[in-house]
Amino acid sequence: MTELKLPSLDYAALAPILIMLGAALVGVLVEAFVPRRSRHVVQLTLALLAVLAALTMVVLNADDRLITAGQAISVDGPTLFLQGAILVLAAMALLLIGDRSVERGGAFVAQAAVTAESADDRRQAEGRNGLTEIYPLTTFAIGGMLIFVAANDLLTMFIALEVFSLPLYLLCALARRRRLLSQEAAMKYFLLGAYASAFFLFGVALIYGFTSGIPGRGAGVDFSTINAAVTESPTSPVLLFAGMALLAIGLLFKAAAAPFHVWTPDVYQGAPTPVTGFMAACTKVAAFGALLRVFHVAFAGAAWDFTPVLGAVAVLTMLVGAVLAVTQTDIKRLLAYSSIANAGYLLVGVLSPSRDGLSGTMFYLVAYGFSVLAAFAVVTLVRDADGEATHLSRWAGLGRRSPFYAGLFTFILLAFAGIPLTSGFTSKFAIFGPALDGGQAWLVIAGVLTSMVLAFPYLRVVVMMWLSEPGESTPTVTVPGGLTSAALMIGVLATLVLGVAPAPLLDLATGAADFVR
Amino acid sequence: MTTSTVLAAAGDVSGGEEITFWILAPLALIGAIGMVAARNAVHSALWLVLTMLCLGVFYVLQAGPFIGMVQIIVYTGAIMMLFLFVLMLVGRDASDSLIETLRGQRVAAIVLGLGFAGLVGGALYRAMDGTTAVGLEQANAEGNVQGIARLLFTKYVFAFELTSALLITAAVGAMVLAHIERRKQDKVDQPSTMRARFAPGNYPGPKPGPGVFATSSSVATPARLPDGRLTERSTPDILPVRELTAQETSLKGTDQ
Repeated sequence: MTELKLPSLDYAALAPILIMLGAALVGVLVEAFVPRRSRHVVQLTLALLAVLAALTMVVLNADDRLITAGQAISVDGPTLFLQGAILVLAAMALLLIGDRSVERGGAFVAQAAVTAESADDRRQAEGRNGLTEIYPLTTFAIGGMLIFVAANDLLTMFIALEVFSLPLYLLCALARRRRLLSQEAAMKYFLLGAYASAFFLFGVALIYGFTSGIPGRGAGVDFSTINAAVTESPTSPVLLFAGMALLAIGLLFKAAAAPFHVWTPDVYQGAPTPVTGFMAACTKVAAFGALLRVFHVAFAGAAWDFTPVLGAVAVLTMLVGAVLAVTQTDIKRLLAYSSIANAGYLLVGVLSPSRDGLSGTMFYLVAYGFSVLAAFAVVTLVRDADGEATHLSRWAGLGRRSPFYAGLFTFILLAFAGIPLTSGFTSKFAIFGPALDGGQAWLVIAGVLTSMVLAFPYLRVVVMMWLSEPGESTPTVTVPGGLTSAALMIGVLATLVLGVAPAPLLDLATGAADFVR
Repeated sequence: MTTSTVLAAAGDVSGGEEITFWILAPLALIGAIGMVAARNAVHSALWLVLTMLCLGVFYVLQAGPFIGMVQIIVYTGAIMMLFLFVLMLVGRDASDSLIETLRGQRVAAIVLGLGFAGLVGGALYRAMDGTTAVGLEQANAEGNVQGIARLLFTKYVFAFELTSALLITAAVGAMVLAHIERRKQDKVDQPSTMRARFAPGNYPGPKPGPGVFATSSSVATPARLPDGRLTERSTPDILPVRELTAQETSLKGTDQ
């Protein structure tokens, strides 16, 4: 038997991933050895420092264009840009997750195993400190996302998908208030997520079968092999199409595109709001990072075949998101449907084959992530004695009660609606422009029309906040502590800056928009 | 080469392989359908065991003895049995409710499921018809287990290492969702229980039972104290105190 030779691992290029996973392991140890009263501070500091260290490594690696760990991980422009985006957004999400001033003990339950609605549960909801295991879980999720956007073969991508999904399922179940809703959300997310993973795996198997039999090349699921197989494989293309469709189902589920979106409103509503923000921002970046890589690198040769199908999915997603957002009465569900519609716009970007399309999509992901995190930050602040007041009727008259936060929220909603001078406008422009150049006019028309429909629910909230009289039941806006304020301010400022002066980030995205193959 | 490798390496499907397939494939299918259709969770698990065993044999038959054995030992032997333990602990009497929360959901699911199976099955059959299997001999050249080891420790070493993150997450998740921590002050010993019992302000005797009157035998009806007041201590905490209305206390006409 011949010797096994370990593939060379470029540790510097892998450093961001290794730092996050290592920090998660240290976090698990902290749970075991650090006294309870100081765990929260230690864990939060550790997680934030790890994110900072990983971000530093991403910046230091900025010029890397390489494939390492065999064929498993590719570190190139889009990888580094998206990893940076995930880390920045994750840092904001961690600030929201770590805040304990808005609600005594934080947004997370103290003991998840206590039966919901029981006497013990009421007692622990009063003010016992929340779980600190959430930090290692979040760190694992961030690590998984970093791998997901860097994965260069489908098997690594699948495991990365699980590494970031599993902690998210758990985090969804840990809300302090409305625990039954939260547990139901986690259950739904878990079951449907497992189902989507099965589709993904089935697709990987079919693609593996498709790559066999190319002259001079073994079968494999790494992207260069698949790319070669698309043009050269003697095997029936039915395998390619079926595999591509099943892979797309798995990825579009994570991206919350219709018709695989049904989990989104329930999960966004049930999960603790900081986790909802984390999912809306970071999961979206990760899912679209993977979609971009799979369809631009692996299946580039089959663009003629997948573009009409994905285009139809994009239009359907935009329609479903925009139309159903109009009928929502809960602010978290409204933002969930808005996130579905945004997945549709992002798909338009994925379908633009040019370099501009790629950079536009990456820009959109960052801009949307900042805005949506800021939006959920505001949602955590509007509360009454029972926790967050998410029903829209309760938001009526909020502008009179606390004009500052209502003003910030109005600004964010205007950004979602795509009003000029906000990042929403520039990012939609960055996506629709290349799509128009790439001959996808029908997608752009659908995008513009649904944007107009989608503006209605946003503006309805704005009108409700400012033009109604505050009633008896109008909740107060809690004055946030430092962490939530910081996250909110970063989000709002980024939304403004990316709207007024998008050029630096757009240039960065354009410079990074080149996959290593 | 092991015997099973010889079996499959011959290129054509041998008679024995074909017979085994046609016996086990329907069994695997029956197991899968039974798993979904069974109402009792334990029956479901046992049906699944049948399917998994059949799949294990398939793997062995197709020259993957290692994965076949892992399927049988780890999946069927360990994981499914653990699953059965959990089911037995939770209560094997629990069976699924047959009420559909969405009307017509079951029919729609069956129709769509059959359609999807037909679509994928048909497409794959057409695509694979006439394809000759390649690569098995190279894959098993050094032996099956060695081949897997080579892949795990060279090409997929990163993915292999990553699964450790999954396992740790699963362990942490199980602890978070299932473990209730007893704090020191929650643990009470006998002397402190007694002290609390006879502390001023506490009534040391047994609590009065719920009020059972001629007109009501509900546990939600509070008992009356000697002075005629109702006492909440006689009803369980989770029940709302319910006072009898005039209509309920009036004679029902059964005493004649």
